[in-house]
Amino acid sequence: MKAEGVMFETSVADTLRKLTVVFADFEQRLESTPLIRKLTRGRFELADYHAFLINLRQQVKDGALWMSRAASNIGEAHLELRSTLMRHAVTEHRDFRLLEADFVQSGGDLETIRAAPKNVGSEALSAWMFHEASRPDPFGLLGAMFIIEGLGSIKAAPWGRLVKDRLNLPDEAVHFLLYHGENDAEHMAEFERMLAMVLPDPAVADRIVTCAKVTARLYALQIEEIGA
Amino acid sequence: MTPTPLRDVYITGTGAFLPGQAVGAAAMEDHIGRIGGRSSAIGRRALRWNGVETRHYAMAPDGTVLHSNASMAAGAVRAALDDAGLGIGDLRHLATATTQGDYLVPGHASAVHAELGAGPIEIASYQSVCASALMAAKGAWLQVRATEADVAVATGSEFSSRWFRPGFYEGTALVDARGRVRMEADFLRFTLSDGAGAVVMEPKPRPGGPDSSAMSLKVEWIDLTSLAGSFDPCMWAGSTFADRADMTSAWSHTGPGAAHASGSIALLQDFDLLKVVIRAWIGVWMQKVDEGRIVPDQVDHLLCHYSARSLREEIVAILQSTRAMIPEARWFSNLATVGNIGTASIWVMLDAFMKSGRARRGEKVLLIVPESGRAMVGFMMLEII
Repeated sequence: MKAEGVMFETSVADTLRKLTVVFADFEQRLESTPLIRKLTRGRFELADYHAFLINLRQQVKDGALWMSRAASNIGEAHLELRSTLMRHAVTEHRDFRLLEADFVQSGGDLETIRAAPKNVGSEALSAWMFHEASRPDPFGLLGAMFIIEGLGSIKAAPWGRLVKDRLNLPDEAVHFLLYHGENDAEHMAEFERMLAMVLPDPAVADRIVTCAKVTARLYALQIEEIGA
Repeated sequence: MTPTPLRDVYITGTGAFLPGQAVGAAAMEDHIGRIGGRSSAIGRRALRWNGVETRHYAMAPDGTVLHSNASMAAGAVRAALDDAGLGIGDLRHLATATTQGDYLVPGHASAVHAELGAGPIEIASYQSVCASALMAAKGAWLQVRATEADVAVATGSEFSSRWFRPGFYEGTALVDARGRVRMEADFLRFTLSDGAGAVVMEPKPRPGGPDSSAMSLKVEWIDLTSLAGSFDPCMWAGSTFADRADMTSAWSHTGPGAAHASGSIALLQDFDLLKVVIRAWIGVWMQKVDEGRIVPDQVDHLLCHYSARSLREEIVAILQSTRAMIPEARWFSNLATVGNIGTASIWVMLDAFMKSGRARRGEKVLLIVPESGRAMVGFMMLEII
């Protein structure tokens, strides 16, 4: 029993380490995108913020949907993981409304953000997520969650502060970025528990890391496409 | 024709040079001088964060220069050669590292060579921030490894405090109308100090055999990773905060007078970016662990140019949950007593480690030198022989 415990833990630690490497590369890609460069170099304008919110909305809205679809494809052997994903989906499925509120609070028109089409990166990201979620036991999506939730808990708040300072906006206009990523430590602990539900399994571990890489590349493409 | 085989290389001597007396936290601000005669708003916070208790300065409070950057480096070279049982006459290759030499031109290695007074030798100047120590080490290592030199020395030396004198800030855009100094400039004044370190490399261990107390360090490998392709400057001198990513804003383009007025001459640090750069260092570290280049359980001593206590909780947590953490009990550091000496730190630390009585033959020593400059990190793996 003890040996098995150690194997579990090693397998989770190994996967988490590979995911951390993928995230570091992802973060560096984001740093080099035109939109984030504008933000960190003090060239960010209100139009950039609006473009950012419009493009984030698509992916945030889809997030809870692919998570629900993934949950519906998780077999009976992993009911606990299914429950966790369903809870996640419930928690997040209205988050895109926060983005709409920020858009309006910062002077945008609600119809504009609702009617905007997905950019090339968002199209690719969305298609990829729903494709992966449609497979039986789509455990690879844990890799996608690591990337997207990592973005929420690590990047969103610092970006929010930069946006707020640069554009002199009130908190109510930057709510999604500023407050979306709270409870980082809790998120991480929950993520480790989710990994432990599907590991050790070398094929699953590989799929999780591959999914993280693909999601990171497509997410970065989505940000690259903003204002490009 | 058979190619010349590569040789194993050993560090056979280490040396350190720390100028003047140790200066404690209470006296340090008066030592480097108060900007506009005022107390710093962030000084105490900076000291708490970096954990430095005492440090050394090559400039007296009245501005008298006790040592130049080059003379401190030369002092460390002499100490290292002496430690190896060699003299200046044995030196064949001198690789120097510093953030900013005493002069703009020529290179720092020329100045150090001149201070040493050695005969004709080969020299190389490496310039960056902290990680330039390992650039010089890699150069020196390859010189010996490739049979180009039998005795090579790598140095790291800094004279940061001269940049921290009030005159570098007063009357510039770094100080606002109410006399407050920009945090990005002030923080480093409480972080960096002066000194030099050096290591001697040879193609054989120090003579004396396994019974002798004289130990050497076999250099297993040196890896440097620059991530400048992804990052804007994080610690720099030569441009303003706003224009730091635009190379046409360089101080030399506008001229020295205008550059000084705009605050382009002082050393600056971008704290927001630093947090991102720290994660990038961790990413490089984890990749090395993942590839098996570094096996944390097999590292007996970690000498890191960064304080374990300065790592934020979440970074330590992720290192632990990915089994990539080296327990703090295996970290050796003298950062708290000698200060953060930039590129000199790692050699001053290695010198203290070798003289601490902790080293045992067969143990692995890992050196890590992260550099925020434009995001770089270097690793050097050693085995005690």
